[in-house]
Amino acid sequence: MGTITALGLVLLVSMVLVSGKQGVQAFLSLLFNFGALFFAIVLMAFHLNPIVVTLVTSIIVLAMTIFLGGSDDYSTEVAFYASLIVLVVLVLVIVPVEHWAQIQGFGQEDSEDLEGMSNVLGINYLQVAMATAILSTLGAIAEAAIAISAGLAEILEQHPKIELKNLQGAGLRIGKQIIGTTFNTLFFGFFGGFLALFIWFASVHYSLGEILNDRIFVGQILMVLFSMISVIATIPLTTSAMMLRVRRMRENPNKSE
Amino acid sequence: MLGIAHDDGLYQQSIMKITTVKTTANEQQSDQFENKDRQITQAVTGTITNGKDKGQQLTIKNTYMKSQATTQAYYRHQHVFLTLHRHHGEITSSTISGLKRDTSLAFVVWLTLSVLLILMRFSGAMAFLSVVVNAVLFAMAVNWNSDTQGSKVLVIFGLLAIVFAALTLLIVIGPNKQMLMTLATTIGGTALSIIIALLVFMVTNEKGVYYESMQYVTQLPKPLFLAETLLGSLGAVMDESTDIIASLTALKEERPDVTAKQIFKSGRQIGGEIMGPLINVLFFIFVADTLPLALLYFKNANSWGYTFNMTMSLGVIQSLISGIGIVLTVPLACGITSMVLGGKKPWARLRH
Repeated sequence: MGTITALGLVLLVSMVLVSGKQGVQAFLSLLFNFGALFFAIVLMAFHLNPIVVTLVTSIIVLAMTIFLGGSDDYSTEVAFYASLIVLVVLVLVIVPVEHWAQIQGFGQEDSEDLEGMSNVLGINYLQVAMATAILSTLGAIAEAAIAISAGLAEILEQHPKIELKNLQGAGLRIGKQIIGTTFNTLFFGFFGGFLALFIWFASVHYSLGEILNDRIFVGQILMVLFSMISVIATIPLTTSAMMLRVRRMRENPNKSE
Repeated sequence: MLGIAHDDGLYQQSIMKITTVKTTANEQQSDQFENKDRQITQAVTGTITNGKDKGQQLTIKNTYMKSQATTQAYYRHQHVFLTLHRHHGEITSSTISGLKRDTSLAFVVWLTLSVLLILMRFSGAMAFLSVVVNAVLFAMAVNWNSDTQGSKVLVIFGLLAIVFAALTLLIVIGPNKQMLMTLATTIGGTALSIIIALLVFMVTNEKGVYYESMQYVTQLPKPLFLAETLLGSLGAVMDESTDIIASLTALKEERPDVTAKQIFKSGRQIGGEIMGPLINVLFFIFVADTLPLALLYFKNANSWGYTFNMTMSLGVIQSLISGIGIVLTVPLACGITSMVLGGKKPWARLRH
């Protein structure tokens, strides 16, 4: 048995043991997200526009992660719509910044990987860089949106007549609770993944100036920052989406479930 | 912000501000895999902005592929670093060695900080502080690792993980019993995932683990890979144990008569809800990153299987190991909290 299969089995079994049906759902959403990501790469290799492929993949991935992850119906729905708005905000930040910073493609540190490879690719790597940045934040957006909307749904359950203004304050309060730990999830997630690169910088004695202008380094830090920005943006946007939803439900009580 | 846009004087390396760019050639290229691209040659003219050559005008030839995977186009107004070759002090030839990216990087840092502070104020400042503290520690550990030629990488980053967790939780939670429980859970959950990973590696003889596909490796890959995985999952495990234990502590405060069993049960429910999304956070961080390299492999006529093995498989293995850690943290957090707060077990009082 391959290591990936074995680890996958261990994960599945522990998920089921720890939380039953929810565990199965969590495993399926991971499996699905892998499939979606791989499929997106294949489509880009077949010269479909990387940005278009990424946006379609993102919408599907957000839907699957949020609907398979969350628990009750209307808070997951709010989380999903909010995450789509965050996606739009994120694209509006990423596109100009990547044009400016030009971190696409490979750096001199990648020479070993590139040896013997053709660089006649015919794929716009600036767009590939944008796609990579967008895709890497999807999990973080989904998680933050679920956390905020689930927290707000719980408050609404306890205080069904809460004023919208107070609901807004509550959203921000939940946001303040999650921001510290979420930042650390992102920080360690990214820095753990790029430990080797930093060790490279240290052992080849890069100067601070070289590091701060290095294509790979800047690209990595930008990805961390983009995901931080998207998590921050998720907090007010999810709260607003929930307020809108509650206002509609109160105006048309018959239509709501 | 404005300062960094005008910091050229701080650099030893010569910097040129590009004033005009002319395209001198633009021809179709193809390779043995029938990929098509355009190779473009541009004449880049600009003025040196720093050092003793300040003010000197240069025109440099730059050739790039339109896809810009390994080469790069330059535009007017950009600042670029130069490599100058001299003969008797006169510049004989020059090449562009790279784009100056510090201004754009500083801008995004500034943007993130502004949004964070405006919206989250004190909590935002604390979140940022904990990231800065961790980044400084991280840099110190990287240097320590290089000083020891990478022989102690797992020890260094294992210790670092404990220090990281302790400091971060002190900043986020504060010095109390809740913080100690969260710290114990975080260390336990992360250690457990690495131990299980090593056991699985032993059973499967590391079949399908392609260490040779690791990027930027300058030392023994296996311990480095484990250290990467350890750090990568640490934040998520910490995030999760903070959430679960904070909720359970609140539950105990609200209903002091709650039993250990009830605490365990409701912790399991909270954990079940957050573990799925959290695993996906790491999955996208670990695997999305491999997109540019995977595309390069595909376009070099490699099979899907080979491309996966050489580019994505280590990221997937990291996600799975972290996932196992995240899942096992749920019963660990519930167990520790119910023992400490449940009140029945005699040693629960000792811990306090």
